[in-house]
Amino acid sequence: MDGKVTELYGGDIHARLERRMKRWRLVLCILAAAGLGACLVLIALTGTLNAQRMELRCVAVSTAVGWVVLYGWMFVVTPARRELAHAAMLRREERQRLEGTVTVTDEGFKIRKSVAVRRVEVRSGEETHRLLVCESRAKDLAAACPAAVYACHGYVAAYEVTA
Amino acid sequence: MRVVKNIFSQLHTFVLWLLASALFWGWIFTFVTDTSPEKKVTVYCRVPAVEDTAMAAALERDMPEGLRMVQVHSFDYVMFGTDAFDRGDVFIVPASEDPDFVKDLLPLEGERGTEIYDAETGKGAATAYIQYGDEDYYIYLGSGSVHLEDGAAMAVARAILALE
Repeated sequence: MDGKVTELYGGDIHARLERRMKRWRLVLCILAAAGLGACLVLIALTGTLNAQRMELRCVAVSTAVGWVVLYGWMFVVTPARRELAHAAMLRREERQRLEGTVTVTDEGFKIRKSVAVRRVEVRSGEETHRLLVCESRAKDLAAACPAAVYACHGYVAAYEVTA
Repeated sequence: MRVVKNIFSQLHTFVLWLLASALFWGWIFTFVTDTSPEKKVTVYCRVPAVEDTAMAAALERDMPEGLRMVQVHSFDYVMFGTDAFDRGDVFIVPASEDPDFVKDLLPLEGERGTEIYDAETGKGAATAYIQYGDEDYYIYLGSGSVHLEDGAAMAVARAILALE
């Protein structure tokens, strides 16, 4: 069978992920620095009469900024970094071509310290291969209705659509 | 909705950050609001109640040169026993104060402490900041004060006596 092979983490997607991670990292660093700067200004303005008020303000500023930075770090930067590492692994390792009916199931879970994934089944006659695909790429794979997939360490790395 | 779900999935991290933040700034502000004994005058008051911050701010308005701050504490501040009393600069104590403690204090002038509050007339200094008890009160200088020679302890004691 001769078809067009599409990488799940092609150049564009990989570069977009990398840009996104770097941009968010920069934004969060700037935000953290701004929060710290604001606290230093509050300290500089501290006198005997307003010391308690300034301490409360410092706690409020550092808590609010910290929460935003933590959120961004945990739910934007870290997942992007893990997805990049996952993509790098898929691009680097040996692949196996599996032909058959490809079904992206609704069954999904998060791999500890890695990406969120969905189960993919590739049926070829009596044989069924159970694979995983990164949650963020699952929609693309399901929409493409591929005739074959390229598997790497149990993950879908690319798919092939019949011409 | 997703944001709320994410936050709740890591709620312990956010709560921990709040606690760490409060502890950290509490620790930092102990340094911000304090300085070495050479740069501050510390006033200890054995009185029922004292508005320490307001009184310190009032005394700082006309602070002797070379000082960074004036601190006012009630005696409860050192209830766990520190050497703070030994380094205290100014003391306000009632007439009933333990003589053993008073004998280590220095009068502003003469042989006895200077009366700061007269219970009979109800008149005294710094009554806007200090709530006195039902007895006379006296002001002394601490014998271990590092501000005896530069006159800063005396200047602050005089400033207290001049407070309304």
